Amino acid sequence: MTAKSQDLLAGVTAPKVRTLLRVVILFFIAGAAVSSRLFSVIRFESIIHEFDPWFNFRATKYLVANGFYKFWDWFDDRTWHPLGRVTGGTLYPGLMVTSGAIYHALRALTIPVDIRNICVLLAPAFSGLTAYATYLLTNEMTTSPSAGLLAAIFMGIAPGYISRSVAGSYDNEAIAIFLLVFTFFLWIKALKLGSMLWGALCALFYGYMVASWGGYAFITCLLPMHALVLICMGRYSTRLYVSYTTWYALGTLASMQIPFVGFLPVKTSEHMPALGIFGFLQLIGFIQYVRSAISGRQFQTFLVTLLVATFGLGLAGLVGLTSLGYIAPWGGRFYSLWDTGYAKIHIPIIASVSEHQPTAWPSFFFDLNFLIWLFPAGVYLCFQNLRDEHVFIVVYAMFGSYFAGVMVRLMLTLTPVVCVAAAIAVSQILDTYLSVKVPIVDETAASSTDSAPKKAKGGLRATEKPNVGIFNNLSKVVVTGAMTIYLLMFVTHCTWVTSNAYSSPSVVLASRLPDGSQHIIDDYREAYQWLRQNTKEDAKIMSWWDYGYQIGGMADRPTLVDNNTWNNTHIATVGKAMSSREEVSYPIMRQHEVDYVLVVFGGLLGYSGDDINKFLWMVRIAEGIWPDEVKERDFFTARGEYKVDHDATETMKNSLMYKMSYYNYNTLFPSGQAVDRVRGVRMPDQGPVLDTVEEAFTSENWIIRIYKVKDLDNVGRDHGAAAAFARGQKKKKIQKKRGARVLRVD
Amino acid sequence: MRSLVSFVLLLFTALVSALSSSGTRLLVVLDAVEEKDAYSTFFTDLVERGYEITYETPKSEGLSLFEHGERNYDHLIFLPSKIKGLGPNLTPNILLDFINAEGNILLTMSSTHSVPSSLVALLSELDVTLPSERTGSVVDHFHYDTISAAESHDVLVLSCPPNVRPGLKDYFQLPGTALTFPRAVGHVLGSGPLLTPILRAPPTAYSYNPKEQADVVDPEDLFAAGKQLALVSVIQALNSARFTILGSAEMLEDKWLEVQVARPQERPQYTSNREFWTSLTAWTFKELGVLRVNSIEHHIVGDDEINPGLYRVKNDVAYKISISEYAWRRWVPFTVPQGDSLQLEFSMLSPFERRDLVAESETHRETIFTTNFTLPDQHGIFNFKINYKRPFLTSLEEKNTVSVRHMAHDEWPRSYVISGAWPWLSGIGVTVVGFVAFSALWMYSQPVKKTSAGAKKTQ
Amino acid sequence: MAPKKNAREPTPSAAATTQASSTAPASVPPPVKSSASKNGAANWDQVLQNICNHYVKETPQRIKLIDVFLLFLVAVGALQFLYCVLAGNYPFNAFLSGFSATVGQFVLTISLRVQTNEGNKNEFPGVSPERAFADYVVCSLILHFFCVNFIN
Repeated sequence: MTAKSQDLLAGVTAPKVRTLLRVVILFFIAGAAVSSRLFSVIRFESIIHEFDPWFNFRATKYLVANGFYKFWDWFDDRTWHPLGRVTGGTLYPGLMVTSGAIYHALRALTIPVDIRNICVLLAPAFSGLTAYATYLLTNEMTTSPSAGLLAAIFMGIAPGYISRSVAGSYDNEAIAIFLLVFTFFLWIKALKLGSMLWGALCALFYGYMVASWGGYAFITCLLPMHALVLICMGRYSTRLYVSYTTWYALGTLASMQIPFVGFLPVKTSEHMPALGIFGFLQLIGFIQYVRSAISGRQFQTFLVTLLVATFGLGLAGLVGLTSLGYIAPWGGRFYSLWDTGYAKIHIPIIASVSEHQPTAWPSFFFDLNFLIWLFPAGVYLCFQNLRDEHVFIVVYAMFGSYFAGVMVRLMLTLTPVVCVAAAIAVSQILDTYLSVKVPIVDETAASSTDSAPKKAKGGLRATEKPNVGIFNNLSKVVVTGAMTIYLLMFVTHCTWVTSNAYSSPSVVLASRLPDGSQHIIDDYREAYQWLRQNTKEDAKIMSWWDYGYQIGGMADRPTLVDNNTWNNTHIATVGKAMSSREEVSYPIMRQHEVDYVLVVFGGLLGYSGDDINKFLWMVRIAEGIWPDEVKERDFFTARGEYKVDHDATETMKNSLMYKMSYYNYNTLFPSGQAVDRVRGVRMPDQGPVLDTVEEAFTSENWIIRIYKVKDLDNVGRDHGAAAAFARGQKKKKIQKKRGARVLRVD
Repeated sequence: MRSLVSFVLLLFTALVSALSSSGTRLLVVLDAVEEKDAYSTFFTDLVERGYEITYETPKSEGLSLFEHGERNYDHLIFLPSKIKGLGPNLTPNILLDFINAEGNILLTMSSTHSVPSSLVALLSELDVTLPSERTGSVVDHFHYDTISAAESHDVLVLSCPPNVRPGLKDYFQLPGTALTFPRAVGHVLGSGPLLTPILRAPPTAYSYNPKEQADVVDPEDLFAAGKQLALVSVIQALNSARFTILGSAEMLEDKWLEVQVARPQERPQYTSNREFWTSLTAWTFKELGVLRVNSIEHHIVGDDEINPGLYRVKNDVAYKISISEYAWRRWVPFTVPQGDSLQLEFSMLSPFERRDLVAESETHRETIFTTNFTLPDQHGIFNFKINYKRPFLTSLEEKNTVSVRHMAHDEWPRSYVISGAWPWLSGIGVTVVGFVAFSALWMYSQPVKKTSAGAKKTQ
Repeated sequence: MAPKKNAREPTPSAAATTQASSTAPASVPPPVKSSASKNGAANWDQVLQNICNHYVKETPQRIKLIDVFLLFLVAVGALQFLYCVLAGNYPFNAFLSGFSATVGQFVLTISLRVQTNEGNKNEFPGVSPERAFADYVVCSLILHFFCVNFIN
């Protein structure tokens, strides 16, 4: 649609009108981007989604309530009990500061807005800006006026980006993608003009990006890579020198201002490429200068000596310092980028996160639709006209595709370049086919679609020879018609995906009743509300780390572990408590002052994201720390199956997690009919027996079960004996047995 | 203000509980109410000390330890009973609930009665074992009363018990006196820390079943002998409810007060049974050995804010706790027994600091213990923890949770304070100055350069 | 940061200082010779000669002014680095900010030099010398702000 209106503009010559139209179109694009993200608010309500956003929301509230300096030094004693978390120094403050600034700005304008609404709507608002930034970036790539607008609308509604930026998805990525694209735009601008000012702006936005998202390392590695490729292609220029060195010098200093980043830029391997290229550029610059001064032959000897010496020294220094420990080797997350199996073996905690899994192929199409096959065409077009900025797109495309294939969540970093490349391709096609006399586009809707790809390719070939034009009206009509249909399908697909796949807050589950009406399953909030109203202010809740942020945000109770997985040992401790026998778990829970244990159980409802399905990760993570006490093998049957029914292993049946999940579950059903609807198995008649904890709360659909940890027995018995006595069983008389008596020594 | 309130409270508690720190309602369970006459001195003493005594038989309809979930009685005495079970009102579960509700129990036994099964079950939960068949008699062929039990040797005459181990309060010590234990039932204690024997049988004593083992005792069937055989034991639950087992109910009877007893080859003497049971009941009914924390204060040394919730690593902290002990009608300053110490832990998962608290000052009602220390260089959620659980003293478990935060960004020393940073500081300074000088020079000389550049061009 | 710096920085600076002590007209190019003079070939004198001639002949006056400032920065940077090697980098943030202030200023000044050089006019169509200088001042101010903030 946008394309059409833009193409119609070709006939209008007055530049002012064009500018005006362009502004109007951009506003519409921003409007479309924002409104398609509001599905979640309409479908559900204005609520913070998922897990991490709850922490961001809580942090923002703290920031707004206590001011920036308090936030900076925030020691959070309500998470990671009893270690606490130096939150101010271990988060990326960009997001919170942004919404805090917006909040205060609105207050200053006497517009009283609830901070929650700002947080909910921040991501959609920034998606509008992202669309604009994509427009600017694309305009740097091509002279075609329509490409930028197309890229903007692609970016605005591509599901790959929407997945992280629907209303309520208050996560770092909400603003980080805008910053990513805008930093790239500034970088291209700086490179084109060779201007220090643009370089400095680029550095400032890079600093903002560093303050917002850990993914800043993508920029840190991509820009040097671009510079390196340019150098290797013999495209070194003083412009590159000026823009890169300015960006690096200022950007690195800017990034070091963030407490969480601190000295990392000079201490970790992830940041070394940027530093290396910085040094390399000095060298190249110097060589270039010398070359202008002396004759060729002398220059060659000089060059070889210098290069060999410098590289030798640099490499030796890097290796030496790394082995001496001054420079941290690559982090685990980075290794898992190269070898997808690495994390599974070495760092289960990283592998356990679903968004760190390798991407499934269909999800590329799901997230990008027809952009994914226009993407190579766009990259190809960049090769056609290879200037510095096109090299950037090519490099970005290569790296983005690789990383997106490795990790689901890095799809996000791929989306911008796909949008840009696809927009270049589409605009190229449309420009070619609509260039001469303007046909009436609206009539073309009925043309056949199956011939379109071939035709499109033919169109691309045609562009290689500028003298050859398309003069056949039919082919014009067919191709533009097909393109229009594709664009329309893209819009439909995006809307469908957004409304169906990406708008669920995951705090609230939706299901369809038999009559087709929507039924909301609100167990999470029911349970968190129960915690908030029925437990002490400082009652410590133990749960698997997935729910830590939500408990902190919604129930406002201290947790042992949460989604900020900074302390693997602490998480493993919780894993051990969950996967061990009660006798082992109880001292751990006592030591950590746990008051309540929360488990998620989907057996009744068939909710597959429950703790029993995540249980093996707990076991694995615990096994990583206590290989002697927790063994994954013990949770599998002799035939290597993971069972929860009659065949479950003793270890499984005795684990605290199993007991808490299935405690009293069989009483819901007639005898012998208990069924776990997730695993689809029949449960044993005899349910597990709990001694050290007692059931405190179970939500409506049994999704959340909360148990209270019992105190020590008042008269010094162990819990098993105390519980057996309370059940009316007589104590076995051990003293009657013959044999060595236990003597009391005082 | 604070002290005034606490003073009023103190007055109030003093009025309500004339004597015991935990109430005066005492229930005596016995087979027939008339039996109490044999113990008239004992009960008269108790009444004089302010207890309101109710006598009930186990079979009584109205007997109920709880009403609407609240205790009807504060204390309970069991006298030996011939009834096998104690009926639905005194099941082991109810008795355990009574203990869990901080009720105190004095249980007496006698070898002439078999112990009711309900009590045996309760004792077994407390890790106390009685002889099989619920009967047993303790005899000692070296420490018996030659006057009353010349043949049966089942009236034991024992010296007053020494303290079970050093470092405990000496509530039950009566040096140089003798006690009689007529027809006692011995019991064996498990190894739990809540159990404390007060009086153990002499090394030469043993327990046998007069019905089944009348003639000979097979060593294999011996229930217990010597020091393992306890005659009087106390149990204090975690909630400080007290449970006392007295092996011989008969020692409470009036008749043993008037007669003299004599061990073999010793002169006859009067016993000090009365003193012993007085301290025993006083302890059981919480007239003795009750500790109270009046106040806890902790603060940064040199800072006025009391009990802040947030500290910083490496703060110097002062901790102060005021403790009183209830002893015979009034609160007195608590003194730590010889050889023991009151300790403060500053802990997160495990103690980072463990300090002896020093008795700094003492008023007529309280002792103030203090200590000062520097917080560890570790942030987290810490507890000031006092965990003072000793036999004979109610448990003190005080936990004050504080957060210890990291250094704020502006609490680190500034660079100009650290001499090591001066070179870099001057580096920046020189760079900035150089930049300013260069810029000034540049701007000053620019017009001239223009022409020279122009000149160069023409060249 | 250290290793690469190690590779790049000390060589010219050390050379520069020795150069300064031996020959009066201090300039940037000479270090080339000393760092690469391991070859010991006779024609290195020639190279040096060429460079010197080229420099003296072709460089405008104000570029020389920049070069003097650059040399000054190199000296300051070298001193700091030398101190770091000798005395350790105890307040690491102080070392970083001090050193990067000098390095940053150095690259910015080089950028200024490049942009104001007549020879590079065609590379920078949109940047006049005045504009370049304004950019330079702005960037330097940002740099100084960050450094001062970081050194605390």
